[in-house]
Amino acid sequence: MTFADLIPTLHATVFVSGSEMETRPVQHVIASDLMSDVLVAHLDDFVLVTSLASDQMIRTADLVGATGVILVNDKHPPAGLTRLAKDLDIPLLGTALTKFAACLAIGKALEKGTPV
Amino acid sequence: MNRLPDLSPDKSPLTLVEVIYSTTIREVMSTDPITVERNTPMSTVQQLMRDQGISGLPVAEQGRLFGIVSVQDLIEALQQGKLNVAVSNCMTERVVTLEEDMPLSMAISTFSKYRFGRFPVLNAAQRLTGIISVRDINVTLVNRLLQQVSKFESMFDSEVTPGIELNRVFHTRQHDFENGGKASTTIKKHLVDHHVDRSLVKRVAIASYELEMNQVVHSIGGTISYRITPEAVEILVQDRGPGIENVDQALTEGFTTANEWIKSLGFGAGLGLPNAKRVSDIFFIHSEPGVGTTVKAVVYLQPKKEEKHETE
Amino acid sequence: MKLSEMATHANWASLQPEFVDSEVEAAYTSDLLSDVMANAHDADVLITIQAHNNTIAVASLAGIKGIVICNDRSIPEDMLASAAKEKIAIFRTSQNQFQTSQTVANALDA
Repeated sequence: MTFADLIPTLHATVFVSGSEMETRPVQHVIASDLMSDVLVAHLDDFVLVTSLASDQMIRTADLVGATGVILVNDKHPPAGLTRLAKDLDIPLLGTALTKFAACLAIGKALEKGTPV
Repeated sequence: MNRLPDLSPDKSPLTLVEVIYSTTIREVMSTDPITVERNTPMSTVQQLMRDQGISGLPVAEQGRLFGIVSVQDLIEALQQGKLNVAVSNCMTERVVTLEEDMPLSMAISTFSKYRFGRFPVLNAAQRLTGIISVRDINVTLVNRLLQQVSKFESMFDSEVTPGIELNRVFHTRQHDFENGGKASTTIKKHLVDHHVDRSLVKRVAIASYELEMNQVVHSIGGTISYRITPEAVEILVQDRGPGIENVDQALTEGFTTANEWIKSLGFGAGLGLPNAKRVSDIFFIHSEPGVGTTVKAVVYLQPKKEEKHETE
Repeated sequence: MKLSEMATHANWASLQPEFVDSEVEAAYTSDLLSDVMANAHDADVLITIQAHNNTIAVASLAGIKGIVICNDRSIPEDMLASAAKEKIAIFRTSQNQFQTSQTVANALDA
């Protein structure tokens, strides 16, 4: 499964489509609003599901090598954040689902999807 | 306050010595000094000193120096009720002077030798062209040293080679969350551009980011310096305070001194330092309350023969 | 499903015995207390890593009866004391927020 596969799953809005959105695999999910929590996670090829629409969230995602970021609760990113995501080449999606519901949807998609 | 430090060549750093020998008095002195003539009354001297905030006036006519009149001379004239007499009766005639083309070092040693606050400066034709004070010297020294420092810094910054080698210094400011993380992002991109293994990039990025945000959250500001070689990434983080009371405690997971609004940004969970240490091959921290904190973290880019991690 | 049944099903450690064993209908996953306050429902169990005394205050305001702390975060004494006073259940799991969300959904389906 790739990050792009999550768009229909989450009925997501694409705010930023990174250059690797359709190629990089997604194997794990980190659902967190505390950046320090994201920084201690021992996972690779993960997407970050968060309700925190801040520059630091995008920077953290970039630094830990997240495949992409999903903003939940219908949050719209401020213009500066979208620009930063573009600069750092991090795909950014938005969904109206809550984080709990988004986790369930992504979990199901991961089960169905071909493991990479 | 107006004392100069001992700037003798054998006791000063080379850069400073270079500055004081390569700078001439002409570059440092104040030109067009306010002067008085021999027949100027002392009452005019009093007014000039008060209005201009100066404590010494050369006595000169058409550039020829006759003497210098100081606050001390004025006080004596006041005490003796001689405010109406001419300057020539009160001035000091045996004046120590300096010349324009002398190096700054001469001025410094002259100031150390005599306890005067200023000296008249003459040109080669023995005409008065300026006056030099301790303040002039201090201002010049500070400016020259700042120029040197920025020259050194730009030398470091411009050392960008096509290879992976890199030396760079970034500055952080307290609570500057907008820019916090820029250093780490820049370094991460550099490593990715040079095809460093993803898992190594991640370790460098985490160590760097944790330390950078730590500085933004907790310190009053400081620097993060990176030295990258094909073998390793060395991160040196130095702040100007306030320092950590108990380093062992700060290295314990979950210990935090961050306030609520910092936590609301997703930081300050007390995981930063332990996490930076976890991903580093070498981790060293020194902190002094009231002074500051220095952290050095190294991540090897090449496998080392002796794996020190095995024993931990 | 009752809180206690869910805890058994999910294999959570129960850290605070004096709670009201109420019915759970869904979950809210968040680490931002302002977000919990604004969006969580009273029949939700809260999935979070915010092991902080303030989490109890927010849960109490939102009417939440049970909190699951993820990633085995240690729980401060003052938080346990506040939870006891408010009769709010505190559970702990080694799973992260994503995994715990799946676990809750599975338990509710069971």
